[in-house]
Amino acid sequence: MPNTKVIRTVLVVEDDTLVRMYGTDILEDAGYEVLEATNADEALAILSEQRDVHVLFSDVDMPGSMDGLDLAHVVHERWPHIHLLLTSGHHPVQGSDLPNRGKFVRKPWSSEVLVERIRGFLPA
Amino acid sequence: MSDTLNDTVAAQAVVLDFEDLFESAPCGYVLADRDGRIVRTNRTLLGWLGHAHDVLVGKRISDLMPIVGKIFYETHLAPTLHMQGRLNEVAIELVRQDGKRIPMLVNAVANDSVDEAQPRLRFAMFLAAERRGYERGLLEARNKAEAAVATERADAELREQFIAVLGHDLRNPLASISSGIRMLDKESFTARGKKVVALMAGSVVRASGLIDNVLDFARGRLGGGIALIRYTDEPLEPVLRQVVAELRSVTPGREITAHYAINEPVDCDHIRVGQLLSNLLGNALTHGSRDEPVRIEATTTDDELIIAVSNGGEPIPPDAIERLFQPFFRGHDRVRQGLGLGLHIASEIARAHDGTLVARSDTIATTFIFTMPLTRPTDLPD
Repeated sequence: MPNTKVIRTVLVVEDDTLVRMYGTDILEDAGYEVLEATNADEALAILSEQRDVHVLFSDVDMPGSMDGLDLAHVVHERWPHIHLLLTSGHHPVQGSDLPNRGKFVRKPWSSEVLVERIRGFLPA
Repeated sequence: MSDTLNDTVAAQAVVLDFEDLFESAPCGYVLADRDGRIVRTNRTLLGWLGHAHDVLVGKRISDLMPIVGKIFYETHLAPTLHMQGRLNEVAIELVRQDGKRIPMLVNAVANDSVDEAQPRLRFAMFLAAERRGYERGLLEARNKAEAAVATERADAELREQFIAVLGHDLRNPLASISSGIRMLDKESFTARGKKVVALMAGSVVRASGLIDNVLDFARGRLGGGIALIRYTDEPLEPVLRQVVAELRSVTPGREITAHYAINEPVDCDHIRVGQLLSNLLGNALTHGSRDEPVRIEATTTDDELIIAVSNGGEPIPPDAIERLFQPFFRGHDRVRQGLGLGLHIASEIARAHDGTLVARSDTIATTFIFTMPLTRPTDLPD
């Protein structure tokens, strides 16, 4: 990868460690910088410190104070420039339920589909 | 000849004791005037009630009834009797001398043709205790049966909810294992290690398929049906290719040929159609002859998507063909694997898309054909 390229950052929010690691692997292999959070609170803490997150990639079904859908709305309110991609194996989300033309990818995602969705927001 | 017959009849008439026939008849008799005042009763009724004849004469017939019955008689039975001239099989209660109530069935006639001096109302009463007993027994039996059905229905619903929750919760650890296997797959292993990882991947694919089918089945039973999320702007073919690749990787040694000619956009739930193909392909690999290839044809015509999956081997008997798509149907061949939900769910997915899934089987091949319209036929203008 040429050094001149701007590195884009994706924040992966997923409570299952292996699933999160796998998603991180896929996105790193595709040339993105990846930050990881296990729930919405962690994600918000990271976003408060780190200015340059470009995409929030979050599971919908998560334990904790809010689920992925709530998180997406809060993130959009506070950081409107961040692109939103949600995922779930149980609760499909229609794009119309998401702010900022957010997208949804159904679990289990293949690496091709996941990378293609993120590229839809930002070419790596 | 006829004289002899008449003589015999006449002789019998003379012998009959009408007085006794009235008094000791196998039913109770009450004769009353037009106002329902008792003129005469018979011995049978007096025996049942424990009253002396004199006590009853002059009373109203309704005086023999408990208070509710009395009101019912005055407001319903008496007017009916006067207007229609008769009552048939009316259930009433009479009060015995000791206060106990006896259930009765009553027939009555109001006779106009007799002269004024004769009692106008005639009642015949039958003990109905046993009949009431039977009726009550029947009613209880019916209530019990209904309660049993209701309990069973509630149990079934609980069972299906349990399945839904269990399937739902099993998916998470399975997704976790699946992610782990995919990561391991990128590491370097010995040949044996690679084989183990591939086999584990195959098991996860099978387990996921089973859980998806069970969940869909439970959801269908719970009234949810199969919900579709349609994506028209994305191509279907890569989804089908991925399904085929997945099943190829878990069944090495089996030949799977696939031919795609999807030239039109298809308004469908891609994941669901992928699941349908996965179920058909899984079925073909399980039940088809191992020496013959499984063939997949996915094509579009002007207005339809057609996906056909064929395998060789023994044809399916005609009586089994009819039941293939029923839930929990498992063929009688030696392969008994899975729950028997795959084809059922596949047919439900077809139905949700306003499509059809049919099976044809002969000695050459067994083929499942899924057909659905390219666009939604029920699209209504706003």
